Amino acid sequence: MTAILELRHGTKEYRGVPAVKDVSFTLKRGEVHALLGENGAGKSTLTKMLAGVVAPTSGEIWLDGEKTELATPLEALKRGIAMVYQETSLVPSLTVAQNLYLADAKHFHRLRGIYIAGQQFLQSLNFHVDPTALVSSLGAGQKQMVEIARAVHHNAQVIIFDEPTATLTPEEKHQFFSLVERLRTRGVSIIFISHALEEALQISDRITVMRDGQHVVTDDTSAFDREKIVQAMVGRSLSDELYGAGKDRKVRRARQKVLSVQNLSMGKAVRNTSFSVFAGQITGVFGLIGSGRTEAAKVVAGVLKRDTFHGGQVRLNGKPVRYRVPRPAVRDGIIYVTEDRKVEGFFETMSIAENIYLAAVAGGQTKSPFISMKEMRTIANEWTGMLNVKAINSDARVIELSGGNQQKVVVAKALVQKPKLVIFDEPTRGVDVGAIAEIHQLINRLADEGIAVMVISSYLPEILHLSDRILVCRQGRVVEEFAGHKADERTIMYAAVH
Amino acid sequence: MIGGLMQSLGTHWDNLLGRGEAAVTVPPLDGALCPNRMLDEAVERFELADVDCLAEVSGTLMASAGDSVYALKGGKWSKRVAYEHTVACIAPIGLDALAVALLSGEIVIDGGAFDGRRYAASPDMACITAMAASGSSLFITNGSATNAADNWQLDLLQRNASGSIWRLDLETGTVTRIASGLAYPAGIVMDGDDLVYAEAWKHRLVRISQSGAGTPEVLYAELPGYPGRITAAADGYWLAAFAPRSQLVEFVLREPAYRRRMIAEVPQDFWIAPKLRSGRSFYEAMQGGGVKQLGLLKPWAPTMSAGLCVKLDSDFQPQLSLHSRADGATHGVTGVVEHQGCVFAAARGDGVVVSIALADLGEAS
Repeated sequence: MTAILELRHGTKEYRGVPAVKDVSFTLKRGEVHALLGENGAGKSTLTKMLAGVVAPTSGEIWLDGEKTELATPLEALKRGIAMVYQETSLVPSLTVAQNLYLADAKHFHRLRGIYIAGQQFLQSLNFHVDPTALVSSLGAGQKQMVEIARAVHHNAQVIIFDEPTATLTPEEKHQFFSLVERLRTRGVSIIFISHALEEALQISDRITVMRDGQHVVTDDTSAFDREKIVQAMVGRSLSDELYGAGKDRKVRRARQKVLSVQNLSMGKAVRNTSFSVFAGQITGVFGLIGSGRTEAAKVVAGVLKRDTFHGGQVRLNGKPVRYRVPRPAVRDGIIYVTEDRKVEGFFETMSIAENIYLAAVAGGQTKSPFISMKEMRTIANEWTGMLNVKAINSDARVIELSGGNQQKVVVAKALVQKPKLVIFDEPTRGVDVGAIAEIHQLINRLADEGIAVMVISSYLPEILHLSDRILVCRQGRVVEEFAGHKADERTIMYAAVH
Repeated sequence: MIGGLMQSLGTHWDNLLGRGEAAVTVPPLDGALCPNRMLDEAVERFELADVDCLAEVSGTLMASAGDSVYALKGGKWSKRVAYEHTVACIAPIGLDALAVALLSGEIVIDGGAFDGRRYAASPDMACITAMAASGSSLFITNGSATNAADNWQLDLLQRNASGSIWRLDLETGTVTRIASGLAYPAGIVMDGDDLVYAEAWKHRLVRISQSGAGTPEVLYAELPGYPGRITAAADGYWLAAFAPRSQLVEFVLREPAYRRRMIAEVPQDFWIAPKLRSGRSFYEAMQGGGVKQLGLLKPWAPTMSAGLCVKLDSDFQPQLSLHSRADGATHGVTGVVEHQGCVFAAARGDGVVVSIALADLGEAS
């Protein structure tokens, strides 16, 4: 088979940080090519370069043997490359048929015509979706179907599917696999990103595994099995220097149970999950995106609400609690350190001192009943010194700080409230190596002081390095628990994807 | 009055939405209670049909089964004494005597200073579940005022809290009640000058004084199983949990009309209730979760029975646990003791006593 699409030595950097480093990738005509890797391995960035969503910082894209530049997704679509996103890119206020013909200005306004054409087209794909229905009224699976239908409708020669089956029911998955088979026989080439290894092994002709933004291996699917894929996904040397010491440390014994989550449910994100968090221990939570880790933590902290009917129970120190907003949770000593610090973590245009002081006020930890500038400076200086926040002074605006120092401010905001339970969600995402070590030290110190600590991370070495016990989430619930000193990357990843 | 009305409204609201006390939830088996297969993987397994209670006397392991007490000698059970009634439980008195409680309510002493004495317990003690001795006092837990010990499932489904704790003076034979209104006390152990008992239907361990005076202190609550007998260990205690809790049973326990009909119309073996051994009949309620593949039950399948022993530290907090999961063969652990460097667990559901070396337990922690 000849190559239809190639990326040669492609690199993509965001603010100097490489997301994809010198990757060469070849898609053959008429093949289904599975692209696998952990969260943050660079799969999505690679496919976005191929679909014209982002431009490579360096490297070349070759289409049908010709060097090409894809400036926009529309240009890529015109050249026969379509991408089906995990988060659907449909317009919710338009109907299914209007979404199908959205880029087709000639037909878009002829509603009756597009409904008839849409009906016929969806039936030809065996997708049971009403073309006159508003997209906002569809379920996640049906939206995914419309997204797929739109890609097929544009007669794309290359279709990139980013986690296409994550939201589909088993029956819909079966239909999807049949569709992929039909597309393959028509000579369409498909790139298939998935965390479901069985699906990749079942559907693909070749598999490429990426790790840390780099290409690891490409081979025929027959050369892989689940074990080999997992090994390729997690085998890591770059981070051994930073995380290698984790195996030798002493595991802390659990003290009393601080948090008991029992049969918690929240829509489709959290499904009847149960777990405990103990004082004086770091409980690591690992899971792939969509496994419900963050949502469960947010319900505990009152950021999200559990199901109204039979939503389960959360017990803090043995007492049932149900928070509708975070404030009472904070008062009870539960702190959630967000994974998205820029949106939820701080007020970016306010100073470090103001941010920390606001948290102290919210947590009822100030001595004065009134706003006191003197107390604000005292508290801010104490915490910036303790956490080694590098700034000119505590009056510097948070937006001016590096990612690592911003994260330290977020952590300071959490700790100033004297928590009993701290939930860190991706504590070192977008943080430089030096700050990672400092944040890890801080997390360890909290556990040593007897505070219950929960660390949610997509980065396995971090989980292994920090955790006294490791909970693995899959499909909205905790499915496995490992002792921190006994677990290894392969078994954890196996539990997360199996 | 307004407060009472609000509380009643709150209760109805919780019942409607499945919240608060009406939440149909079960604490997770995690942390020190993380599931393993250690009970099933025990190399030493001593078959004894209907084995119930274990005790160590004069360096020998004793077990009660049916109407007899057996001794383990050379890896085999030998019948030591047979009684006229089924043995409800046994407990050591000092190092060389054994107290044997019979379903008839009598307590017989075998060996030691009180050898051969028989005590007729109070008529209110028809459900003796466990005993613990201290000097010349024998503390006795009576699970229920209305149901016998072999009818514990009915007591749970009736949501009774009629259990009590009694003190029997072995010198004088006088019996004194020191606590009442308990939700099936199923285990008791001495903790210095105090007593710690397991309140099975409330899934907790509670400390009280020997006189029963003062406020009971909850030491360990929210167990994911029904706690039973407790014995002292070299560095803490062992707790036998005779059945696991499940969401289905918790749900049934919140449906009085359903329970009444089930008790009246369905044979006891097929009630939706915890069991010492389940899965032997296809008539049993499936719970929607008889998770089988190629005819093999998966270990994580929801189950009405399981095996669980918990090692507690001196503060009665869990340190480690031994399990037999849904697909295991060591279910319904009703007694556990340390003996000669091993821990012995009596699985009544499967009629077997298993032994695990204490040195091997480091793996489970």
